[in-house]
Parts: sequence; C-alpha cells; structure tokens
Amino acid sequence: MERHERMPETPTVETLVKAWRAGAVPRREFLRRAALLGIGAAAANTLLEREAPAQTTQKRELVVGQGGDISKFDPHYSTSANDIRVSFNTFDNLVSRHPDGKLYPGLATEWKSTAPTTWQFKIRQGVRWHNGDPFSSADAKFSLERTWDPALKTRVNTVFTTIDRVEAPDPATVLIHTKQPDPLLPARLAFYGGQIVPKKYIEAVGSDAFNAKPVGTGPVRFVSWTKDDKVVMEANPDYWGGRIDVDRVIFRSIPENAARVAALLKGEIDVMVLLTPDHFDRVNQHPTTRAVGVLYAGLYVLAVNSKVPPLNTPLVKQAMSLAVDREAIVKELWRGRGIAPNGPIARGDNHYDTTLSPLAFNPKEARERLKKAGYKGEPIYIETTSGYMANDKPMSEAIAAMWKDVGLNAVVEVLEYSVRAQKNRERTFKGVWWSDPTSTLGDPDGMMWRLLSPGGPQDYWRHPEFDELGQAARFSLDEKFRGEAYKKMTRVFLEHFPWIPVIQSYEDYGLQKYVEFTPNPNQQFEIRRFNSRMRRA
Amino acid sequence: MSRVFEQPAAVPLALPAVRRRRRRVPWLLITSGAFVGALAVVAVAAPYLAPQNPERGSLRARLVAPTLEASDGKAHPLGTDHLGRDVLSRVIYGTRVSLTIGFAAVAVGGLVGGLLGLLAGFRGGWLDEVIMTVADAQLAFPFILLAIGIIAVLGPSFPNLIVVVGLSGWVTYARVLRAQVLSLRRREFVDAIVGLGGSIPRVLLRHILPNVGSTLMVIATLELARAIVLEATLSFLGLGIQPPTPSWGGMIHEGREYLDTAWWISVAPGLILMLTSLVVSRTGDWLRDVLDPTLRGE
Amino acid sequence: MRAGFGGFLAYRLFRALIALWLVSTVVFVVMRLSGDPAPLLLPPDAPIAEMNRVRRELGLDRPLPVQYAVYLGNVVRGDFGRSIHFREPAMRVAFAYLPATFELGLTAFVIAALVAFPVGVFSAVRRNSLLDHAAMGFALVGQSAPTFFIGILFILILSLRLDLFPTSGRGEWRHLVLPALTLGAFAMASIARITRSAVLEVQRADYIRTARAKGVGEFVVVAKHTLKNAALPILTITGLQFGTLLGGAVVTETVFAWPGMGRLAIQSIYNRDYPVVQSTVFIAAALFIVINLVLDALYGVLDPRAREKAA
Repeated sequence: MERHERMPETPTVETLVKAWRAGAVPRREFLRRAALLGIGAAAANTLLEREAPAQTTQKRELVVGQGGDISKFDPHYSTSANDIRVSFNTFDNLVSRHPDGKLYPGLATEWKSTAPTTWQFKIRQGVRWHNGDPFSSADAKFSLERTWDPALKTRVNTVFTTIDRVEAPDPATVLIHTKQPDPLLPARLAFYGGQIVPKKYIEAVGSDAFNAKPVGTGPVRFVSWTKDDKVVMEANPDYWGGRIDVDRVIFRSIPENAARVAALLKGEIDVMVLLTPDHFDRVNQHPTTRAVGVLYAGLYVLAVNSKVPPLNTPLVKQAMSLAVDREAIVKELWRGRGIAPNGPIARGDNHYDTTLSPLAFNPKEARERLKKAGYKGEPIYIETTSGYMANDKPMSEAIAAMWKDVGLNAVVEVLEYSVRAQKNRERTFKGVWWSDPTSTLGDPDGMMWRLLSPGGPQDYWRHPEFDELGQAARFSLDEKFRGEAYKKMTRVFLEHFPWIPVIQSYEDYGLQKYVEFTPNPNQQFEIRRFNSRMRRA
Repeated sequence: MSRVFEQPAAVPLALPAVRRRRRRVPWLLITSGAFVGALAVVAVAAPYLAPQNPERGSLRARLVAPTLEASDGKAHPLGTDHLGRDVLSRVIYGTRVSLTIGFAAVAVGGLVGGLLGLLAGFRGGWLDEVIMTVADAQLAFPFILLAIGIIAVLGPSFPNLIVVVGLSGWVTYARVLRAQVLSLRRREFVDAIVGLGGSIPRVLLRHILPNVGSTLMVIATLELARAIVLEATLSFLGLGIQPPTPSWGGMIHEGREYLDTAWWISVAPGLILMLTSLVVSRTGDWLRDVLDPTLRGE
Repeated sequence: MRAGFGGFLAYRLFRALIALWLVSTVVFVVMRLSGDPAPLLLPPDAPIAEMNRVRRELGLDRPLPVQYAVYLGNVVRGDFGRSIHFREPAMRVAFAYLPATFELGLTAFVIAALVAFPVGVFSAVRRNSLLDHAAMGFALVGQSAPTFFIGILFILILSLRLDLFPTSGRGEWRHLVLPALTLGAFAMASIARITRSAVLEVQRADYIRTARAKGVGEFVVVAKHTLKNAALPILTITGLQFGTLLGGAVVTETVFAWPGMGRLAIQSIYNRDYPVVQSTVFIAAALFIVINLVLDALYGVLDPRAREKAA
C-alpha cells in the first residue's frame, strides 16, 4: 500500500496493519479504525508495537543527550557519569565487559594466571593512538601505575590496590603481579580506572594538556568541546574493533529532564540517557522513539556519614532504614522500574543472597528504635543534587517526609553537582547523600568492599569483623568461603547501615527507533560495533 | 526589574489632565482592596482553608490532574504535584510567604529609604551627594544579581530575604522624601522653624508627612507588587524559602520539570502570582493617577 | 553651551565611576562576609602552597585596608583570578559569554520597540476602541507578570503544546524567538503604555485640533508631532528599558538555558565559582553605567534644559 492511497473506512485488520507498517496512517488514526473494527485498545497497542514501521536513517551523526556537561576528559580524574560516558569511548580497556556481563578481549587479546599472584596479558598488535603513535605494553604499564601514583592524586587510586607491580617485558606482554591471589583482576581492568592512556603523549605534553586534548585508542577521537554545550568526537577510521557506522558522535549537555525528553521527541538527539520513569511511557509510545532499559548493576543508596551524631548510633540508622517505604518508592516514583534491595549486594552479582527478603518497612518499629537510641531531634541532612541522578530530588523529598513521619528531623538541602563532587572528595557531607555505587566486577568485592573498605571513597565507618572478612574474601579463591564471608558482612551491614539502600533501579535510555543499542547494566555507555548501530535503509 | 524605571530622574512630561474617573473610582478600589484583603485572609487562615496537608502527600496520587476524585480518594481541584501533595493547599499556604515577605520588605524599604531621603534632604551637602550616588549606583545595576549573590552567601532565610528584597526598593522612597524636604526647605519656613528652636520630628510630622502621605501610599503599593514578584523570582531560582515550605515561586520551579506531563503544578501558582501582581500594581497605578499625577514625571 | 555640555558630561562620568567603585566595594564586602575568600577562589584540590600564594597575592595576611587596595588594584587591571570551574582567567570566561547576552538583549529590545511604538500610537489614536482596551490589557499583564512565568507559559504553550519553537538552548533563529519575547515583554508593555500616554498628551495640543479641522489624516499628523514632542521622554524611557533588559536577562537566560552571561552568573553562584561571579557582576555594572552615560549624553544633547537641572 502506498503512502498516498486512501484507506477504506473499515479496512480489514491486515490492510490496516500494512498501512501502519508503511507509515501511511498516524497512530491516532490507527487506533480509531482499530476500534471501529472491534479491536480493543490493549490489543491495538500491541499491534502498534509489534508492527512498528522499521524506521531507518541516513544520518552520519549520533547525538547523545546527557544530563550535564563534561568536567574532565582524563579518565583517571573523574568517575562522574557524564564523564565516563565520554571516556569509555575515547579510550579502551585491556579487558572489555559486554552487555551480556561477560569479559571479552579489549586491548589485551588473552590473559591467564601463570602463577598464584601473577597474571599475563597478551597485548593486541597493530593498534595506534589517535595521534598516530603505536600502542604497546609500555602504555598499559604506564596507565596502571598512573592510577595509584600518590603525586598525581587520581580519582581512581583505589581501583587497583590489589596490584603490587606491573611489568612490560616486551611490547606484546604485560605481567601484573598482585599482592595476594586476586581472581577478579581481569574484571577490575574492565571498568573505570582501567582505561589505557598514552605514555609518550602524556609525558610530552603533561596532564593538563592531555585533559584539554585527549588522545586514546577508542572508536571515537576528540574534536572539540564547547563548555556547557557539547563535545564533538569523530569516528576513528582505524579502530581495531571496527569503525563505527557514523562519522561523528556528539555529546550534548541538556540538564533538564523535560528538555532532554523534548529534544529526543523532536529528533534533536538520537540517544537520551537518564530517562526518568515519569517519561518512560511517553518516550515508548511516541511513534519515532522507544525506551530501552536494563536492571542497573548497582544500587541507589543514601550513603551515611557515620561519624557525625546522631548518625554514629546504629539504632538511629536502623530506624532510618525501617522508615523508608521502598515499595511505594519503587511503585510510584519509579513506576515499577526497579526492585527493592535486600542488602548491600546487587541482584545479578555473585553471592546475591536470594533468601534475604527486601529491606523492611516498619514505621512503628522505627519509632521504637529511635526512642531506644535516645534520639533528641538532631537534624539529619539529606544533601542531594537535582537531576544528576534519576529521581534524586524527588526521592529525597519523599524520604524526608517518611522520616518526619517517624519523628526524625530530616532536612533536604539541594546542591549543585560540582559542590557535591567537592564534598565527595573532601569528605565533608553533613549527613546522608545519594550515591549510585556500581558493581563494577559483578561481585560484592567491586561494590560493597571497594567503596566501604578502609581508605575507600566512602570510608566513614569501620568495623573489625567487616574489615577482616572483606579483606579475606577479596583474595580467596574459594567461592564457598567468599559466599559465607559476604553473608556475615551483610549481617554486620544490616546492623550498622553505612549505606541505606533504597532501590535497585532500571537504567533507562530513550532512543530514536533507527538506533539499535544494547545498554550495559553497569552504566558503561559504549558505542562500539558489538552493541550499537544505526538502522540503514 | 524595577518599576522605578517608569519614573526617570528628570523627565518633564506634561502633566496629564485630570481624567474624569471619579465615577469609576469606587469600583476599582473596592475590587482590588477586596482581592488583597481576601489574600490576607487566606494567608492568615491557611490552616483552616487548605483542604489538605501542603507538605505531605500520598505517593500513590502523584502528578494527578485536577480532579474531584483521585486515587487517594480525595478531591484535588488543582491537581497534585510530583510527591502527591495537593496543589491547592500549597498555593494557599504559599500566600503566607508571598504576603509576609512582600509587606515586610516594603516596610524595610520604606523605612530605610525614607530615612535616607530625609537625611539627604535635610543635611544636603556631601551626605546628599553620597546618598544620591549610591541610589544611582543601585538603579544602574541588575539588582537581581546582587540579591542572588548575597542570598547565596548568607543563606535563604526569612530575615535575609526580607532585608534583601526590602533593600531593592529603597531608592524611590528616598527620592520622593528628599524632593519633598527640598521643596519645603525652599519655602524657607522649615529653616525658620528650626532656627526658632522647633524640633525636626515635629516638622516631620506636621509638614512633611502629610504632604508625602499619599505619594508614599502610591509607592508602597507599587513596591508591594514588585517585592512579591522579586521574592517569587528568587524562589524560582532556588534561592527563596526552601522546600518543603510552599512558596509560589518555588512551586513554579518544581513544576518546571513536569511541564509536559503535569503543567498545573507550575501554572496554578503562576496564575495566582500574576493576578496578585496585576491587581496590586493596577491599584498602584490608579492611586497614582488620582492622588499624585506628578509622580509620572517626578 | 559647549562648555556647559562638557561639564555636564564630565560630572556624569564622575558619578558613573563612583558608582562602579561602589559596586566593586559591595562585592568585596560580600566576599569577605563569608570568611576567608582564598578557598573560595581556588579549586578544592589545590595544594596548600597554591592557597598560600593566593593569600599572599590578595594580601589576606595584611590588614583590611591593604587587602582592599590590592583588590581595587586587581579590579582596575581586570584581574579577577582564575575560574574554578573552567580553569581559565575568570574575566575571559565572562567576556566569552557576553555576545550571547547582547544578541538576546538587542533582539528583545528591537522587537519590543518595533511592536510597542506603533501599538502605543494606534491605541491612543483609536482611544477606547476594542483594540485599545485589548492592547492596554496585554500591556498591563506584560508589565506586572513576572518574567520567568511569562517564559514558562511561552514554553508550555508555544513550544510543548504547539511545537512551534524549541524549548531551550541557542542555535538557529528559532531558538531566539521565545527568549526574546519573554525578555522584551516588560519593556514592550512599558513602552506601549508610555507611548500611548505621550501621544494622548500630544493629541490634546492645539495644533492637532487645527490639523483635524483641516482634515489632514489624523494618524499621520499624530505620528509626526508625537515623534517630535514626545520623542524625548519616550527615548529616555526606552533607553532605561534597555538597561532593565540586561538585568532581566539573568532570569530569562536561566529559564531558556540561553548560554549568556546572566546564566553564567547564576551557574557560577551555584557552583561557588566566585572569580567568575565577581567578573560577571563587574561587567554587568560597567555595562549599565556606560549605557546610562550614553543616554545621559544623548539626553543632554537633545534637551538643553536637562543639563542644568541635572548638574
């Protein structure tokens, strides 16, 4: 059926569907005629979805809409979501984690443990940096050592604390010696901190210049950055993983949710990150766009500064957790796009305890614990950003109201993201704040232990049993032992609540229908042949 | 933005002929007076008038369109916001913030401005020069930037807001009072009285205030409208009264996120704000036309 | 008369410089109000040595008057330090965002003037007609409604519902329309009302009646004579509105995410990037004072009486 042909008033279902597929009938029309044919609304909608016109494009440019601007291009100096989306595409890691959760070769083609504390990585040959320099094992050694160099004070200095030293005996081999047997080492190399940066270039121009004009091995290379507006990258024609099928990738900064959605619906951007549940349906039902999501490999928690009273009292924190109606938050604020956590381990990770029930909601019990703790009404500050994490401010307000209901003096303070980043670095949070720890290894070691361990980014609370178990579990090769250790650590966690887990949500993206993209559950936004392409006619 | 810009320093506009408005007088005054009075009543009686708790809503009834029967079984004539709070109740409570800060700021501005104007008029000389230069500096400057800067440093509390919003408008009062004093001094009898030992406060009471009384009323009315709008603007920028306390500007700010799905969150308080500003400033305009047309070209 | 005019101008210039100095002082005071400004002017991960260097440079270890002198010296040189967020000299950052604000302000003003003048004249000529009432009604709303809400309404109706314009940002001409209309609303309303009043005054004058009696087209006569006699006050009001526009830009740019200096100022305040805040405040003040000075000069040229009155 051609676009210009007119349909009979009551076509057959077949004709109607054919017309829809050809783009000859708008959505509302379709529903009207379907109704005339006696097809119920639900069935009609299913038909619409299933038979969606296969939209294609000739665009040579992919525009990604983010919730904020880049602050740093240097992958070792920022782990902020807006930055890593760019750095994961400018740079490669030795090991690559695909959306299916498995590890695949990256800049290293194979690896094996040659001794209990030694891993051998074979380096991919023939790879060039964006400026033409050849890539070799020296770059890998340089990158890893750079992360923990005390003089440089990188943001990722705790990612590789298990590594003792790195050797690059020849340009094609890297030997990593760990302090103790570390079965998770390849997984550690796959996430942020493990991006490989160019030794020669950085040594020549210095870190500041490198940050201003980054050079990597990734599928796109840096062209320009207009502050608070956009970052323009162009495709790397010699990318070892295969050139991506667009010429340019542009990251635009659109902080307002509504504006980002509007931009997507109007076709101004092709991919939208941080699609909030309130807009999910709208994007999904729009004729030219769809929403796609995956359960986040991580948790949304309220991290607690357990050093300041009254947060130094376990009973108070237990009450805070008991007062949160997670089911209502999941159902209403997230419209069901998430699950209530049962502890500090994300579902999908190793050693996730399926026997534990979701964290309880019991306001009565919360009030009693507060009484027992002798809580005197000291203010509890929720320092939140607005729009940096999905639903951050609404959740803060909802939880503040829930806490007020049980007698906690909750105060919400809104911060700009840069101020939050500063407080994060300086450890100057006044009470609780939102954190979205990512389970970088698919294992509790990569989330709970990485962040809450002594010297870790969220080291506000210590407990001897917890610390001992965490350390032991990290280096044990006995999965059964590790499982038991994490069970015990969970029990300690649920008594002291260094975090108050709130939700394990879906990470949703809005896409134009001609973009095929499979998101990675750990927020690793990558544009490579194996997970994204444009549908061409 | 200051309405003062309608009255530039030395523009000799011809005086408008007195219009035959006397017939319409009572109507406009009564309506506007009633409106402001009603607002004041709403502000004071908010706890009794608001159908629901403005700070606590049911998450089950989020983003509900204006309706008489929502999923939480209650009526929401203006809908609910993103946390399920009743918008009507929040608008009612928001009246408190707007009127309190509005009136208080006008008082602060009036007192400070009046005092400085009198000082400038009486003392003259370098004090007068200084005060007028400061006035010029403030007028020539986007006050909102200064306001934002100060609030950002000192914090958005009621007293801070009242002082900052109040200080945004002292110049008009100062100018009027200074002009009044100067014109009286030209008539020399003020100096004579003072020379004979009469006290300045008495001069103030007997001669100056009666003359500026009506002018001050006009200015105060116009300033009230401006103060209410300035407070709402600061709240809209996140620098006003903080949530969960409802304020009109704050609600418009919160609703911005949901403009495409739940427009009533922003529009309801916005319309009330617009209406209030309209009525009050129209009253001020009319008062000025009737009581003191010279203000048009001071 | 030339000497008088020169003196008049010099006097205004002197007042302008004083005003600028006052603004700088207020900024200085506000910065010191929050305690030690050094941490505010540097990135949080700056080494102690860097912080001490800045403290020495600002003279923070010396008595307050010395600090003030150092500060004023820096202001005169245009040195406001390095932006914490952008890692560039703060003044340079502020200047980079200025063109966008100019574009917006100028467009808003031009549209406002172009629309308001004819509307004002027409309303006066067709006094008490439906058009007059409608126009003045709109003008009333435009003058009393808060700018940010006008912007929100425009976004809701013209962008989201009718899909005529983009919701935010800067790019092609479409992006300029809504922000310019929002920013110019107050000015448009004010100019229309003032024009109407001025025209009404002119209308009452005798020569109009004479012209009417002669049967000459009223509109043309009015327009000609209005422009001659009411030009001065209208010009002044208009010029002042232009100054107000640059102030109102702060809010409009925020609503429409227009990348101008107003939005930069607000973002910098949220980001606690005080070097940039100082720069923007200073530039804005300087701009206003210059504009007012130019207006005063123009006014002085056009109306000799004003020179004596103001001096």
